Amino acid sequence: MHAHDILSPYATKGIEYLLAISYLLLFIPFWRFVQGGAAVKEHAFGFGWFQVPNGVHLHAGHAWARPEGGAVEVGLDDFAHKLVGPLETVRFPEIGAPVRQGQKAFTIVAGGQPLDVLSPVDGHVVALNEAVRAHPADALRDPYGAGWLMKVEPRWLTGNLKNLFSGDAARRFLDTAAGKLAQRLTPQLGVVLQDGGTPVHGIARALDEDHWDELARRFLEGK
Amino acid sequence: MSERAVTHPVPFPAFVLDKVLLGMPARAYAKSLFTNTNAIFAAILAIGFPTLAYRYWNGMGAVSNLSQTNPWGIWVSINILCGIALAAGGYTVAATVYVFGLKQYRPILRPAILTGFLGYVCAICGLIVELGQPWRLPYQLFLTPGTTAVMFEVGMCAFLYLIVLGLEIFPAGLEWLGLAKLRRFMGTLTIGIVIFGITLSTLHQASLGAFFLMTPGKVHPLWYSPFLHVFFFISSIGAGIGMIIFESAVSRRAFRDQLDPDAHVDIDALQLGLAKGGAVVLFALFFIRLQGLVASGRWDLLFTGWGAWFALEMLGFILAPSLLFAVAVRTKRASLARAAAVVTVLGVVLNRLNVSMIAYNWNVPDRYYPSLGEIVLTVLLLTCGVLAFRWIANRMPVHHEHPEWRGVH
Repeated sequence: MHAHDILSPYATKGIEYLLAISYLLLFIPFWRFVQGGAAVKEHAFGFGWFQVPNGVHLHAGHAWARPEGGAVEVGLDDFAHKLVGPLETVRFPEIGAPVRQGQKAFTIVAGGQPLDVLSPVDGHVVALNEAVRAHPADALRDPYGAGWLMKVEPRWLTGNLKNLFSGDAARRFLDTAAGKLAQRLTPQLGVVLQDGGTPVHGIARALDEDHWDELARRFLEGK
Repeated sequence: MSERAVTHPVPFPAFVLDKVLLGMPARAYAKSLFTNTNAIFAAILAIGFPTLAYRYWNGMGAVSNLSQTNPWGIWVSINILCGIALAAGGYTVAATVYVFGLKQYRPILRPAILTGFLGYVCAICGLIVELGQPWRLPYQLFLTPGTTAVMFEVGMCAFLYLIVLGLEIFPAGLEWLGLAKLRRFMGTLTIGIVIFGITLSTLHQASLGAFFLMTPGKVHPLWYSPFLHVFFFISSIGAGIGMIIFESAVSRRAFRDQLDPDAHVDIDALQLGLAKGGAVVLFALFFIRLQGLVASGRWDLLFTGWGAWFALEMLGFILAPSLLFAVAVRTKRASLARAAAVVTVLGVVLNRLNVSMIAYNWNVPDRYYPSLGEIVLTVLLLTCGVLAFRWIANRMPVHHEHPEWRGVH
């Protein structure tokens, strides 16, 4: 018994080359077949109410981080601003204070209620946005630009970024949050849906006047 | 994070009640164990453990059909070869999430790692059952290592990878126990552990096939090839993908109370994403196996009974699931992907059985057939793996994120 009976090397090699070329030629239609088909339907609650620009990384607690040079700009995302409404005060940490990803970074006050916001990165605070400190409600107008809240010198940015949402994942994260809100929409806000407009600011207060802070706190704690 | 668990230790009885007995009083917990499924498991354990004791008390020959001619049986074929191949989902999904950056697969990462960890534990336990003198296992690795031997490479890689898998699943245990500082430290090691694990997997998944490179006269020519190690490695990727799709489908039903209702995980989309990878891998594997057949030059054997069996494996369990995966992805039918995953898993099991047992010593009169004792112990080890998975998944944050560690990995 020949366990390894080789044909004439030339014939064998020729067949092997033909097989390899056949594979490459067949792979092209195979891949096109796999990639074809109907596009994935967007989830019904992907209303696109909330924006996230490129280069911004979102934390599950709705803070955002954007690396800028050696520091990281930190702010509150579009969803959180619309959820709580115009800010009355921002209680910043001290310059030099340490922050840790997933732990309280600063406190926003809206509707008389203090709400803690979790830090998206580890590090220590190097700058605060004095313009927002003076006029907190202005942060709502440009949450990812002039509405940045503080700058952090990161301790371990690469590892922290792996725990944040960016790009499509960030958009899906906000869509999911919007979906949770959509499930709670009351008839009073039905007009907004039918018009196709964006939600009013202070959505949480519009949904539950008495316990809006509990609702907001759930989102800001990443739950 | 949860420093309170460190600064205010929970009294021992309350710890047992909360963590071990799922918050139920002991009597209620014991009563909850009386189910039909647990009755079957209990029967398997009741038969298996005495058989295991008998095996060690009287030696391997008392329970197995192994011999000088057939030293490897189903303990190697199923527990070790199939167990390690099907545990490949751990490194596959870890690479997907941490190396390729596809974070949407994170919800299935921990179940995959746990499956892999328990798969390797079962494989090592199978090895300890299979070895005639298991207490001499450290000799091969540390005391008298044969560093040019494939056996040493497999042993060392599997040993190290078991540690790596244990470290990867360790954070789930730390979150369960509330040990925040150690948990945070383990998070800093994640990427290094993952890369080390992928490297080790590449090595020993291939080496398990390299075992048989030195047996050209024993493995049937249709299965033997100088590229066996390449076949084993590539098929392990397909096995991992199939196993993860299958495991995620089963777990979503069996552990539905462990799922986070707010997580909004689209498991169908994840399974279809994995299916796309499975389609490509299996398609490539089919042609690579054909190359092995061309290199052997034994086309004539295709027209024998063994040839029909070979064709069944190639067409029915490699090409067919590849096409099934492709159709599933194109038509967005996750149920079809799950069916293809089952066929893929069966195909890898069949391939490992063929190479190591069915088509091994194919022309020797003294053929091997597993004894009842071997079957009992194989089933015992698999059952223990399933029970361990269930125990861990019901208590630790495997199918959901721990509320205090949401978004942190």
